[in-house]
Amino acid sequence: MHASNRRFSLLPIYLTLSLFAALTLLPFAWMVAAALKSQDDFFTSIFLPPGSGPFGVGWERLTLANFARLFTEFPVGRAMLNSIFFSTVTSALATAACAMGGYALAKFSFKGRALLTGAVLGALIVPTSLLIAPTYKLLWQLGLLNSYAGLILPAIAPAFGVFLFRQAMLNSVPRELLEAARIDGCGELRIFFTVVVPLIRPMIGAFMLITFLGAWNNFIGPQIVLQDAEAFPLSVAINNLRGLHGTDYGLIMAGTLLSIAPVMCLFLLLQKEFIAGLTSGAVKG
Amino acid sequence: MFSPGAWLILSGAVASSLVFLLWPAPARSGRAFWIFSPPNVKLYEAALDNWNAQHPRPAEQTHLALIHYQALERRLVAAFTSDAPVADLVETEGLLMARLFGGPVEDVGFVDLTDRIRAEGLNDAIVPAAFSQWTTRGHIFGLPHDLNPCLLAYRADIVEAAGIDVGQIETWNDFRRVLAPLIQDFDGDGRPDRFLLNFWESQRDLADALLLQAGGELFDQNDQLTLASEANARTLAALVGWLAGPERFCVDAPEFTAGGDRMRLDGTVIASVLPDWQAGTWKNYIPGLAGKVKLMPLPAWTRGGLRTTVWGGTAVGIAKAAPNVELSWKLAKHLYLSPQIAEQLFRTTCILSPVKAHWELPVYHQPDAYFSGQRIGEMFIAQAPHVPARRSSPYRQLAMERVTSALIALKAYAVAHDRFDSAFLLPEARRLLAEQQQDLAARIARNVLYRLP
Amino acid sequence: MRAFDRRTWIPWMFSAPFLVLFATFTVWPLLQSLLLSVQQTFGPKRTVFIGLSNFAFILRDPLFWQALGNTAIYTLGAVCIQISTSLMLALLLNRPGLRGRSFFRLVFFAPSLVGLVFVGVLFTLLFQKRTGLINSGLHAIIPAWDPEFAWTDNHVMASLLLASTWLYAGFNMIYFLAALQNVSREQLEAADLDGAGAWGRFWHVVLPEIRPVLSFVTLLSVIGSFQLFELPWVLLNNSAGPANRGLTVVMYLYQTGFLVGDLGYASAIGWVLGLILVLAALAQTRLARNEET
Repeated sequence: MHASNRRFSLLPIYLTLSLFAALTLLPFAWMVAAALKSQDDFFTSIFLPPGSGPFGVGWERLTLANFARLFTEFPVGRAMLNSIFFSTVTSALATAACAMGGYALAKFSFKGRALLTGAVLGALIVPTSLLIAPTYKLLWQLGLLNSYAGLILPAIAPAFGVFLFRQAMLNSVPRELLEAARIDGCGELRIFFTVVVPLIRPMIGAFMLITFLGAWNNFIGPQIVLQDAEAFPLSVAINNLRGLHGTDYGLIMAGTLLSIAPVMCLFLLLQKEFIAGLTSGAVKG
Repeated sequence: MFSPGAWLILSGAVASSLVFLLWPAPARSGRAFWIFSPPNVKLYEAALDNWNAQHPRPAEQTHLALIHYQALERRLVAAFTSDAPVADLVETEGLLMARLFGGPVEDVGFVDLTDRIRAEGLNDAIVPAAFSQWTTRGHIFGLPHDLNPCLLAYRADIVEAAGIDVGQIETWNDFRRVLAPLIQDFDGDGRPDRFLLNFWESQRDLADALLLQAGGELFDQNDQLTLASEANARTLAALVGWLAGPERFCVDAPEFTAGGDRMRLDGTVIASVLPDWQAGTWKNYIPGLAGKVKLMPLPAWTRGGLRTTVWGGTAVGIAKAAPNVELSWKLAKHLYLSPQIAEQLFRTTCILSPVKAHWELPVYHQPDAYFSGQRIGEMFIAQAPHVPARRSSPYRQLAMERVTSALIALKAYAVAHDRFDSAFLLPEARRLLAEQQQDLAARIARNVLYRLP
Repeated sequence: MRAFDRRTWIPWMFSAPFLVLFATFTVWPLLQSLLLSVQQTFGPKRTVFIGLSNFAFILRDPLFWQALGNTAIYTLGAVCIQISTSLMLALLLNRPGLRGRSFFRLVFFAPSLVGLVFVGVLFTLLFQKRTGLINSGLHAIIPAWDPEFAWTDNHVMASLLLASTWLYAGFNMIYFLAALQNVSREQLEAADLDGAGAWGRFWHVVLPEIRPVLSFVTLLSVIGSFQLFELPWVLLNNSAGPANRGLTVVMYLYQTGFLVGDLGYASAIGWVLGLILVLAALAQTRLARNEET
């Protein structure tokens, strides 16, 4: 009685959730349909082209030609490799730098800590557009233009990363544990890797995903710093499909699907950590 | 210690780094040529292969790089302000290049081509109006790629089925009068579902083109702002009647959007102002219109007035800082003046070469099945000598946006007073333009480095 | 003594990689932009010191104030709509006995995985006047609906809020979902025994528990909203929209720097925006403190 009552009371919740899910998924459904249609059919129907097949859909008019074109006419293989390199390296290095920086800010008291924390908080509100021109000049002076180093190095030290890790450390790393390890004679690096890192594992997962996503979807930055087309990541290759003169929607949507697939898989793998990690960075300690 | 996903990222980082060490991206030596227009990639690649075969020295090899317009914009502005290198050659669009003119002429980051163009007689070989967009204070900084005359494209199938002869149309007033029977409400909701022209107050570039056709300009020959000219006020006052009120005949069917393309296919909009490059885009991206559309000269603002206007434009600039300017100049001429490339350009993009001698090429005189068998090359050539000149200014884009703002405000004023005749709207049009002119002029005056003669 | 020594250099060792890169790629360019804000420049060679003229001009620049107004309206809307949507989704998903929770979670988070390019293409298609999914759908259902209802012309902020809610609500939902897991079942059941309704339970038990996360998410939303640039830029086809209705402060900064080439004035705008945000943050902390005491 009680159970069926509860199931009944869940019905409006399922309905609401399904409605929102449908609204969220609608654009994705449209994208998949668009990727499978030819340029002619693109305009004749909103989703799948009408026809005589099951459900009144012209299934025979669907085509994988957009994907075939993507792989034959554009060097997406190289672009994919570039993307993986750029995104994974940025994500790994940024996580390392921010985790260590956040650890220092949260768990040590030293001269200049207040100043540094203030600078990090202040940098949270800096609009990136403000920095484009001075950074370009700097990269040129350092000889980093047209190299992956010029793209990755500035992305390794985001202020919000240190901020998130600082919060996570304050929340989930007890000072007593560190003191105990020190009394046991552990080296500082060993303490960091064996005591601290396991405690903030969720934050590491979450931040890795966030930085990976940011790098993976960044399509303007690489084109400013990198100059050779061979070095462009997937995001740029996809965006170049959509030039100033012409719009081949099927091809763009096929490319977008191709670029979403890896991050979708990554999210599935990191889902648990991601949720736990975000909170550990959020709650005030 | 880490989750599977984190391990995946870490191993991905290590593995891809290894791949990069073992299989580095081929390093590009030699010279760079940046372009932003995708159709031009194929066009130039063949020509550059040819060029590179003739110039085998590594330092003379030239490579093409396609860069998104927005990235090119950021790169050029950032590079020119910090003395960082740009490519040897940069193919760019008019408004973008003009932005780099905001200081003393001698400090513009591109090579001043004026003397070379005069010495080699290019100013006679190429239609003069083609240079106007690349010229600041009398100095030319770009070799023009195109001229971009405009024609009117219309749904010949619909117009002819209604028994209408477009030959009677000479002015925009004729256009409205002759085609008015086509404006219809098909679904009975009390609103028309078919309109005569694709234009809306938010279409900044087309508003600019229509202003130019009516003899208005945003800057005068000395690059001084003339936003609030009487011609512009008259044009704006007339345009409001196109967009609202009892005689409205325009609808918003923006180019490069799926929705706009669908309206062209469905016949929601009959006619569009079509620059040559747009004809190429239509052919490539709206195949469904093939055989249904025809071109004709634009209706004029007054009898005997201009039957064309100009929209868009691309040129190549040579970076001052890059070594071997001479070689770049040679390559620019090789690409832009060659009859073979002009022919290819028209075939792939419908863009007419601004070089008058090329207009004899057979490619311009062949019937085009997409445009119902018309010889569209000849039609563009017939209008090419009349293309209006545009004065270039680093503030041109701002000025164009101010026109849009004034038009929007004027339409709101007309709707509020329920009066759409230009005589009533003209005083308000003058006032709105004067307001915009004053504000923009104050901003231009703040740039102490941009001084006009 | 040894322990003391260790303590002084250890934190520097840990923060060194971050510190070096932060100083090089954030602090140094920031200082450069501060320098730029008092100059008129053209190219590398021409630099004129113009003092505080840029800052003085901002005060009487109608476009800046319009941009600030637009940004403030957007921020208010984003904080109200996005956060309440996210919180509602999280509350629904947190119901005990619900099946398919991880499916729904993935669905709602999915928009965060796609890039802005895609969002631009997609929402232009949704918002188009006659042919957009929204207008053509509404017109089919309600014939009186004007198919030329111009979302991105006359209702820029509404369109932006719709797009940004689609894009970001799922991300914030995850924050709330995680926070809700900390709310203990015992407390909820105790509230049930007290006869508190669903609303009372939310107000007296859930809300106090998730308040820290709520204020954190709000802070992030405010900062993010004030920096809004790329979404409207993509959505409005690389412009501020008709009559600058979609102009935001950072967009104005970008336009000034890269469309007009006036990096000095652009930098000044950036610094004024920073100042406004700092003042807002200080005001918020003070308010929060007053609330506590």
